[in-house]
Amino acid sequence: MIRPDAEPLLEINDLHASVEDKPILKGVNLEVKAGEIHAVMGRNGSGKSTLSKVLAGHPAYQVTSGSVRYLGRDLLELEPEERSRLGVFLGFQYPIEIPGVSNLEFLRVSTNARREKQGKEEFDTFDFDDHVRDRLQVVQMDPAFLERSVNEGFSGGEKKRNEILQMALLDPVVAILDETDSGLDIDALRIVAGGVNQLASPDNCTLLITHYQRLLDEITPDYVHVMGAGRILRTGGSELALELEKTGYDWVDQQLAAEGVA
Amino acid sequence: MTSTSTRDLVSQPYKYGFVTDIETEKIAKGLSEEVVRLISSKKNEPEFLLDFRLKAYRHWLKLQEPDWAALGYKAIDYQDIVYYAAPKQQEKKQSLDEVDPKLLETFEKLGIPLSEQKRLSNVAVDAVFDSVSIATTYKEKLAEHGVVFCSFSEAVVEHPELIEKYLGSVVPSSDNYFAALNSAVFSDGSFVFIPKGVECPMELSTYFRINSGDTGQFERTLIVAEEGASVSYLEGCTAPMFDTNQLHAAVVELVVLDDASIKYSTVQNWYAGDENGVGGIYNFVTKRGQCRGDRSRISWTQVETGSAITWKYPSCVLQGADSVGEFYSVALTNNCQQADTGTKMVHVGPRTRSTIVSKGISAGRSSNSYRGLVQVGPNAKGARNYSQCDSMLIGDQAAANTYPYIRSQQPQAAIEHEASTCRMSEDQLFYLQSRGIGFEEAVSMMVSGFCRDVFNQLPMEFAAEADKLLALKLEGSVG
Amino acid sequence: MTMPEGWLTQLPAPAGTLEPVQRRGRLALSEHSFPSRRQESWRLTDLKRLEALFQLSLADQRSDCSNVESWPSVPALALRLVIDGTQDPLRGVTLPAGISVLEGAELQQALGHTLSRCRCASDWPVELNHGVSQQILALRIRGKVPPIELVMVADDSRLVPTRVLLLVEEKSEFDFLQVVSAKGQAAHSHLLEIHLGQESKVNHGLLALGDGREALLANLAVEQETRSHYSLVSVSQGWSFGRLEPRVVQVDGQASASIHGLSVTAADEQFAVHTAVRFEGPEGTLDQVQKTIAADRSHSIFNGAIQVPRPAQRTNASQLSRSLLLSGRARIDAKPELEIVADDVRCTHGATVSQLQEDQLFYLRSRGITHSSAAALLLRGYCKEVLDLLPLDASQRWLGGSLQVGGVNP
Repeated sequence: MIRPDAEPLLEINDLHASVEDKPILKGVNLEVKAGEIHAVMGRNGSGKSTLSKVLAGHPAYQVTSGSVRYLGRDLLELEPEERSRLGVFLGFQYPIEIPGVSNLEFLRVSTNARREKQGKEEFDTFDFDDHVRDRLQVVQMDPAFLERSVNEGFSGGEKKRNEILQMALLDPVVAILDETDSGLDIDALRIVAGGVNQLASPDNCTLLITHYQRLLDEITPDYVHVMGAGRILRTGGSELALELEKTGYDWVDQQLAAEGVA
Repeated sequence: MTSTSTRDLVSQPYKYGFVTDIETEKIAKGLSEEVVRLISSKKNEPEFLLDFRLKAYRHWLKLQEPDWAALGYKAIDYQDIVYYAAPKQQEKKQSLDEVDPKLLETFEKLGIPLSEQKRLSNVAVDAVFDSVSIATTYKEKLAEHGVVFCSFSEAVVEHPELIEKYLGSVVPSSDNYFAALNSAVFSDGSFVFIPKGVECPMELSTYFRINSGDTGQFERTLIVAEEGASVSYLEGCTAPMFDTNQLHAAVVELVVLDDASIKYSTVQNWYAGDENGVGGIYNFVTKRGQCRGDRSRISWTQVETGSAITWKYPSCVLQGADSVGEFYSVALTNNCQQADTGTKMVHVGPRTRSTIVSKGISAGRSSNSYRGLVQVGPNAKGARNYSQCDSMLIGDQAAANTYPYIRSQQPQAAIEHEASTCRMSEDQLFYLQSRGIGFEEAVSMMVSGFCRDVFNQLPMEFAAEADKLLALKLEGSVG
Repeated sequence: MTMPEGWLTQLPAPAGTLEPVQRRGRLALSEHSFPSRRQESWRLTDLKRLEALFQLSLADQRSDCSNVESWPSVPALALRLVIDGTQDPLRGVTLPAGISVLEGAELQQALGHTLSRCRCASDWPVELNHGVSQQILALRIRGKVPPIELVMVADDSRLVPTRVLLLVEEKSEFDFLQVVSAKGQAAHSHLLEIHLGQESKVNHGLLALGDGREALLANLAVEQETRSHYSLVSVSQGWSFGRLEPRVVQVDGQASASIHGLSVTAADEQFAVHTAVRFEGPEGTLDQVQKTIAADRSHSIFNGAIQVPRPAQRTNASQLSRSLLLSGRARIDAKPELEIVADDVRCTHGATVSQLQEDQLFYLRSRGITHSSAAALLLRGYCKEVLDLLPLDASQRWLGGSLQVGGVNP
């Protein structure tokens, strides 16, 4: 939903970032306002996953220049846990398995950390149990998954649902979903997309990172951005995604070649 | 197993087992301070080298032969060995034309032609026969690039300052029993010096040939790569078939400075003894490289197929920040061979990385042990090691042992070791055979598949050779 | 380093059921030299701490088990026995049907048999136990019997020698939890033999909790007949000096064993786990996971031997050693040893040494959990995987579900 007077939630300005001294992001500019859904598309290696990791504060990525403002404050100076508590959520492309750590406990500790920041009352174990069972319906997940270790032995689809469940619990302001559609069959994709749609509101925003159209059949973005060589090369409406579906990414190479980048 | 059995096939005899009939100058058997002095004087060595030898000899007397390896062999009588033997010829020849044709013929038969017309076009060779180097090819061409490649004895005369600076700096003469013995009596070997910024324009190779039946071979190799230099070096070894055991106790030292790299490959095919374990080389070798400089790199690749006994642990001391050590090994034992081999990766500097890939194949009644140490010191922040040790057993009388030892004192380091032991699977063999692949070929395909990761590290010219060598060695062992 | 002069002669004169064993042990101690760092199995050991055992007093005639009140209650049906090296653990106890005391000629025949099969009868810590053990708890297990919780206590600078022998008859099933506790700079010398008859099942837990300044020498010898299943879960924490040596031999193959271990060290503790599994017949299996956590200036050692000789065709063994090094002054040594002669076997082993996984930490932090809470959570999860396997609900009852691990100091 595009509203010209909406508050900007995330402002990325000329962002450069490296991993192991290798520059990946080379000047990303992006503004996301409340109520908007943005899709960031591009081939593997275009820098889209790096962008999501940098926004979440992964220690392996160094920001070399540029800025990211979140609700008017400097996002980059915050620790990863601070970002989460303030409402920045990253749905992982490959959710991490943590043997021995109970999924339920993990969800409770992280939810309470966010609620404390929001000035809400923390859940005790019983209230949380009720709360989480309620939120499970967003992703149609079997409560049995709560009793298992975090993501351990989950199928690809179950891991992604567990990510969206976390999103439902953490009530983010900015939700960044990194390749949430990868490895999902069509039913799982619908469930995950349905969850994202339910959680979208005029007060938050969503950044979908994907390289397929099929997720966008389920979630209609307000803006589509195409990344290549660490920058956003084109921005358009949802029709741009459909165009990409037909024409592919070859024009990206041509454009980059013309600029002498690739 | 299937009706075709390679056990029935005739094992191809060791094809390098001939003896060259050449007049040899030998000193009397036995080891004493006089013998050490005699070797030194025969080579007209400077004082510092005689001192080095004597110090080593006196230390050796105090040491005991190590017994911790998974090896069993008859006690070695160190007084029953000749410590110096050389084909009779006057001074080292200025040109190859003057080298005894019998020697040239020997190396030609070994597949290492030395003459101008036949020599390999992209590999410089130093040929060592018993205790001395008889010829080095492409010396002049290498000299144009500032690369020194010559026999150790020549280096002592022509570059004494380099020898004095680096000899014993990686493997001290007191390092271990066999290194001390070598330091006392070493006769010849190769010396390589790659000056700052030079990428050595061709492969360098030393070919070691033991000819005499009662002679020990104690060569010494020293390779120094200065800042930014790089070189790829290969050694090959063969020996005639005798029904006695010959001792080979070599020392190899590598030094790499900032941004330099040495790739050291070995195809070891010393005589392994007969199928009953009679004869064969006792191979006790100390090989160690020191990554002194930042971002320096040492890569050891070895294909060990020969020797009755192998005791060998090519190692890397990773001192420089971001330095890299690698060890890729295929060790194949058949009949009564025993190999105890592996590596040590000692992480001293920050962000040092090492990789170990070891493939052991044991057939017959042989015993094949991987023994490794990965040590991460308190200052090696960010160090990483990955090791993979796989064993393949052929027949139910061969032994495969794995002793990977890990020691860490640095929390911000990651060490990962994986190992597996498998047999050559009947199902896989059958599958290949059912697609029309002959039994032997199927076996050799499986073995070379098993060793692929290591063969890929060998210089191209030698990878195919190594593959063939393995197939040859295994003939008659699967059934 | 040696045993202090006159130490052997001041021991009480050999007597009782164990008299021949005591004589044997004392002779061995006097004839064999004290362990030396030149021996591979002692190379990493702080021998001064081993030597310090001789300064302790041997069990006297104390009668009270000091802190019984603080122990958790025993689960329904389970039998709790207590040994402190002096009292008869069976005094006033009625053994349930299926569990009986092994005595006389039967006992003499069984005693030491499993030690020999495990090839550890002459190991130094075993001979020490031989030399000083005054009594033995020897039980025959027949059928499905109630679980036993054996609590072993030591305190007050005493060296408490304990010896246990379990003869588990064919098709029997038995859960056995040992809780080894020590306080006040005391030490345990423990020797256990378990013989598993055909098709029997033993679920064995060993929870060893020191107070930071205690010592533990524990040798467990296990002999498995065909189609038996043996499971060992060991958890140790708080030993200034410890050496836990489980040895399993599958005498005719076709048996299965699983060994799970967790050892946690802190301060300047040194704890070593030496396991050895030997397959003497075909189609045996082993599933082994050893975890260690080393914090502060502590030193954790794992040595895991697996032997697969020629008769052991179609053995399937896996061993994984996972070590967490939490401090820059701690040290971890891991040394798997695989010796295989049979060709139709599947053996895998792996070892890792690292600190907590960076990607797991980041995942938790990205959900709003602080670095230190995330680390604590991961450590708890890491321990829990082993703790939850302890029989008789030991983790909940004795530890409240988790171990306290401190010292995350990257």
